[in-house]
Amino acid sequence: MNVRPGISAISYAVPAESRSVRELAAAGSLESDAVLLERFGFERVGVAVEETPYDLALAAASDLLRDHHIDPSSIDALLYAGAPGALAFAKPRDALTAARALCDTRRFEFAATRLQFDLSLDNATVLGLDQLACTAILGAVRMARALCIAEGLERVLCVSSEFYPAAAGREAITNGTSDAACAVLVERNANRNRVVGGVSVTKGFYWSGDRASMRDEIMASYFPTAARVMHRTIASAGWDKAAVNWIMPHNVSATSWDILLRLAGLPNARLWNRNIARIGHTLSGDNFINLRDALDGGAVRAGDKVLVFSYGYGAHWTGLALEA
Amino acid sequence: MTTCFLTGATGLIGRQVVARLLVSPRVERVYALTRRPRVESVGSTHSVHGDVRVDGLGLPADVRDMLAREVTTVVHLAANTEFSQSLEDARTINRDGTLRMLELTADWPNITRWVYVSTAFVAGLRTGLIKENDRVQARGWANAYEQSKAEAEDLVREARPDWVIARSSTVVCDDLSGTISQMNAVHRALRLHFGGLAPMLPGTDASRVDVVTTEYVGRGIALAALARDVARKTFHFCAGAGAMSLDELLEVSHQAFLRAPAWQRKGIARPMRTDLETYRLFEAAVHDAGSSRVRQALRSLSHFVPQLAFPKTFDTRAADALLGETAPPVSAFWQRMTNHLVGNTPAVEAA
Repeated sequence: MNVRPGISAISYAVPAESRSVRELAAAGSLESDAVLLERFGFERVGVAVEETPYDLALAAASDLLRDHHIDPSSIDALLYAGAPGALAFAKPRDALTAARALCDTRRFEFAATRLQFDLSLDNATVLGLDQLACTAILGAVRMARALCIAEGLERVLCVSSEFYPAAAGREAITNGTSDAACAVLVERNANRNRVVGGVSVTKGFYWSGDRASMRDEIMASYFPTAARVMHRTIASAGWDKAAVNWIMPHNVSATSWDILLRLAGLPNARLWNRNIARIGHTLSGDNFINLRDALDGGAVRAGDKVLVFSYGYGAHWTGLALEA
Repeated sequence: MTTCFLTGATGLIGRQVVARLLVSPRVERVYALTRRPRVESVGSTHSVHGDVRVDGLGLPADVRDMLAREVTTVVHLAANTEFSQSLEDARTINRDGTLRMLELTADWPNITRWVYVSTAFVAGLRTGLIKENDRVQARGWANAYEQSKAEAEDLVREARPDWVIARSSTVVCDDLSGTISQMNAVHRALRLHFGGLAPMLPGTDASRVDVVTTEYVGRGIALAALARDVARKTFHFCAGAGAMSLDELLEVSHQAFLRAPAWQRKGIARPMRTDLETYRLFEAAVHDAGSSRVRQALRSLSHFVPQLAFPKTFDTRAADALLGETAPPVSAFWQRMTNHLVGNTPAVEAA
């Protein structure tokens, strides 16, 4: 039988509170001027106050199971790609204290395992993905697809929940950054959003993504590598550039997307960019948060060819080709 | 016999030209204008202290009279070749200095040849085939250097009946060995690529990079000064048909860098070619959000790389006929030049 894994459900959760970039600037949470971030397309970002990364992960995954009437016992595997150990259970104001727990046996208190219990995923094997930063959920989907094909799993639930580091402000290289969680269900034979191609490139030279001395190099490397990964992703699906109906971005600056799409020879009109202003950049799943909203809003229709692309600290460039 | 008066004789090309002139049996003497205060004579070369930024070049009356009596050929090379200078600064030496030279030599009775060394890029933002005898009809210029040289060409053509215009392409190395004696914007662009700071360059499918060696240009200018029947001619000392496409040049450079194992491991991306508008957007983004290091690097290129987006091929038929051969193709020295630039060892170069 021809196996065609795809994404059958997406849910996401954002914090109850949000801040405008001007409020963030006034609070000293930005490196850049608020006006510049606004010019780059950012307006508000979600800021967790009372929530923990685990709370949002649980909310996103619970919503997915409930809204799509998924029997928890039908999930064969849970892939968790989110905040590690004790940090997953800490509110931002407690994060520094929680970080100390990573140095004792509480390091082995895993969000993935607790999710399996809290969601009653009784038949799910549990795996954790780490160190892929903003590409983690894409990595999880790639792995889920591989598990469906290689091991015959029917349903793999991918969950990512990340807060921007509590002591790092709210800006990642001129991008306003939100806390959020995202859950994606990959099914072995899905009717929608089939994963028909994918490319991932890691350049270890840039491993220290936020070190000042490396930022320039990363910024320079970002564009040509991203354009080539997008081209290769399109080719891996057997498409040509003109066939791409939508580009589901990671929510980095609209200006950088303008430059990248020109470089890649893809039209800006096909960029689904409405969440850059509304949510900003999340570490946990911009692309699928956007896809969910684009599907709900009717912008993406069945059969559309969707190019998903994200870059994450580390340094990882990942593209996926989906047939909606 | 020929007695030459050269400006810019101590520069990279000037030294080549002097050396070439001195081996000609027809050249009796070379007077070389120098800003050094000491007057020196070495063989048939005599240094003359002066400055093209000063009226009359600041020459004492006796020196001026001597030159007026003896000089048969003027070769005006002195120029400010920085691409990033302001138009005012560029004009100071390139246009006004030429005007001072023209005024000084206007009544020297024995001059039969007045060679102005210009740049092929007086063509500015024009595209397509640039013919040698085209007068400057630029559609704007990429930088003040190009404009000031174009303005100077006009002055020379109008003032002298015996003008010869020697338009040089951009010099990137001494000779086919690829040795670099003087760095310029081309080398800075390559260094950015090597440093992993060059994501893109403007250009089109038709963009070609026309660069030459000092040896070739020096030979051409010397011949332009000495050959018969070249008055009122313009020569393109350019790679012409031997120019390399921008895509090929980026690839060859990248491959040369990759021969260094330490560089290869970094995984630095080959810069992409894009349209000028996209490049300008990137420049603006760096201006807004980049570090001072990258802003400064891009600023240093901003007066040079836009030229790549205006593809042109320089007609070199007159220069080829003068020299009896075409310029060395860029492919004959680019890789070796690149190796020199980044310090690749001979073993790496051989590989």
